Amino acid sequence: MTKTASVVIIGGGISGCAIAYNLAKKGVKDVVVVERSYLTSGATGRCGAGIRTQWGTERNCKLAKFSVDFFENANEILGYKRDIEFKQGGYLIVAATEKEVEQFKKNVELQNSLGIPSKYLSPQEAKEIVPHLDETKILGATFCELDGHLNPFHTTEAFAQAAERLGVEIMTFTEVVGIDVEGDKIKGVHTTKGYISTPIVVNAAGGYCRQIGDMVNVDIPTYSERHQILVTEPVEPMQEPMVMGFSLNIYTQQVPHGSFLIGRGDPTEPKDLRITSSWQFMEKMAKTACDLLPALGKLAVVRQWAGLYNMTADAQPIYGPVKEVEGFYLAVGFSGHGFMLGPATGQIMAEIILGEPTTIDVSDLDKDRFARGELVLEPSVV
Amino acid sequence: MIEKTGVPTKEDIEEITPPKEIREKQAVAVIECYKEIPCNPCYTACKFGAIKEFEDINDRPEIIYEKCVACGQCVIKCPGLAIFIIDETYSETEATVQIPYEYLPLPKEGDYVTALDRAGRPVCRAKVVKVRKGKHPNMTSTVTMAVPKEHSMTVRSLNLEDYFADNTIICRCEGITLGEIRQLISEGYTTIDEIKRISRAGMGPCQGRTCRHLIMQEIRNATGQNMEDMLMPTFRQPTKPVKLGLFVGGEGDD
Ligand SMILES: Cc1cc2nc3c(=O)[nH]c(=O)nc-3n(C[C@H](O)[C@H](O)[C@H](O)COP(=O)(O)OP(=O)(O)OC[C@H]3O[C@@H](n4cnc5c(N)ncnc54)[C@H](O)[C@@H]3O)c2cc1C
Repeated sequence: MTKTASVVIIGGGISGCAIAYNLAKKGVKDVVVVERSYLTSGATGRCGAGIRTQWGTERNCKLAKFSVDFFENANEILGYKRDIEFKQGGYLIVAATEKEVEQFKKNVELQNSLGIPSKYLSPQEAKEIVPHLDETKILGATFCELDGHLNPFHTTEAFAQAAERLGVEIMTFTEVVGIDVEGDKIKGVHTTKGYISTPIVVNAAGGYCRQIGDMVNVDIPTYSERHQILVTEPVEPMQEPMVMGFSLNIYTQQVPHGSFLIGRGDPTEPKDLRITSSWQFMEKMAKTACDLLPALGKLAVVRQWAGLYNMTADAQPIYGPVKEVEGFYLAVGFSGHGFMLGPATGQIMAEIILGEPTTIDVSDLDKDRFARGELVLEPSVV
Repeated sequence: MIEKTGVPTKEDIEEITPPKEIREKQAVAVIECYKEIPCNPCYTACKFGAIKEFEDINDRPEIIYEKCVACGQCVIKCPGLAIFIIDETYSETEATVQIPYEYLPLPKEGDYVTALDRAGRPVCRAKVVKVRKGKHPNMTSTVTMAVPKEHSMTVRSLNLEDYFADNTIICRCEGITLGEIRQLISEGYTTIDEIKRISRAGMGPCQGRTCRHLIMQEIRNATGQNMEDMLMPTFRQPTKPVKLGLFVGGEGDD
């Protein structure tokens, strides 16, 4: 079976589905999304799905704010008949070192200047927002009520269904196995369900983006790294905001359904594509969680799993075309916060592909910034 | 085997299964008389000569399918309740199975019941399409049920309770009903992974031990997919819920 597309998007996560939706909304016909398993089978379906506007660089603040604004009305905009479960309970980001205190105060200033209503709090004030927090473990905190979290499955579905209604074809359980390039131009994509001829390929393959890059001999400067997470049994509502600490290495939220999601990063994690679960994670996670939020010790863990972060050297995504191959676009390297950027990713990538001015300038987030040594370092990441 | 369990083996069943060409063409009696016993009312009941004359009263009955008109006389006369009428020509996707039924109350036509296999295990949902009441209170009645075609040689009994009704809860952890699962399947979510992510079925403390298989059955019923070929979600640790505090010295356990 051979078909023709104007754009083939590789990856059915939040990025791929949001890009497809935005292209179709702008009137592009024959957009095809190719996903090797089911939608959200990659990082999107494994993530904490937290969204925060409290960032340390101006652009991340803007990208996230754009996305929050979108999520607030996403059910309506996307015409989704279920619910993306956006719970805007805020993010409480706790500082446990003097350096963090300093950085957070700077962040709040920046955020406020961009219209983000975050504020700096004393440990006592933080405890008023999250009563089961052990405030003796922290030096301060910042809080922003705009922040929150969503259900990643429904959010992706909402984009995917809206895209399909606009004519996008989504091929699940279809793997891209090769890409044809002729004279430095994209010609088509080989999949396990046939050939698709196309002048444009968007690499939105998350943790597997380098394997896609290899198909066109473009080296993508990211690496993948396992991140683990667990979920508890559902309990009565007891925590409104997401609680997050960078040096304490924890993020945890209580989803509307009642379960707590709890995750952390591991600096010793090897750079590979493993997504197995480890007991070491469970032990370390339990310790971190029970230290900061002792009440969580009473909750039973139901399940743990893992997914891939696709990391860049400056913890910012790579957006845009590549010089080596015409028609090959990247939306990768989200470094653990690509879910929340979904709406912005979709909008901006569609604009870039159509040669329109972008809503938020991301021209310096190109792939070659690393080679040039022009990193755009984000200080506030887990 | 059958002496011990009362349930015929696969080979036993193969032996008495009418040939495919016959089943595709006509309704027909299936005689599930697996043992030689001194008994011949099926032969005397058949007015069409479709059951061969017995040389010995202990003979097992032999049916001449071409002569069988599926009148059901043998079904109500067989004292062992061992004869059934199956009709695979009933519709594109369904067959009917007529069974002798000696319990009260009888189901009503139009009722949904649970079709059972020879061992009494639920197989699928069945619609009662005909109830033939015995002429006298002590005579055998028959019930004819419509079931998916592939179950014509599996379904041999019924339970009046409709296990497979839309309001049956199949994911007990998350309180999700069969109706909700059917709705999702009809919307195109045809893998367990997708259904799990959209509905939460299988995300609870039991991690799908109860519902997974039932959801697979529903997917099979709706799409014809083979259950063996279905992709299974990953089985994740811990195998049973453990208090988080237990990992840091047991404080979490009351
Ligand atoms: C534990 C964890 C917690 C996280 N928490 C958060 C959070 O709180 N907030 C946040 O914003 N982000 C979070 N993230 C990061 C976030 O999940 C990702 O940045 C985001 O989901 C990336 O989406 P994506 O669509 O770009 O990639 P993915 O969701 O990974 O999608 C890529 C898809 O490409 C498919 N694919 C790969 N190769 C091929 C091929 N050859 N052919 C066809 N398809 C292919 C994959 O199957 C996959 O579905 C977290 C990540 C993890 C692992």
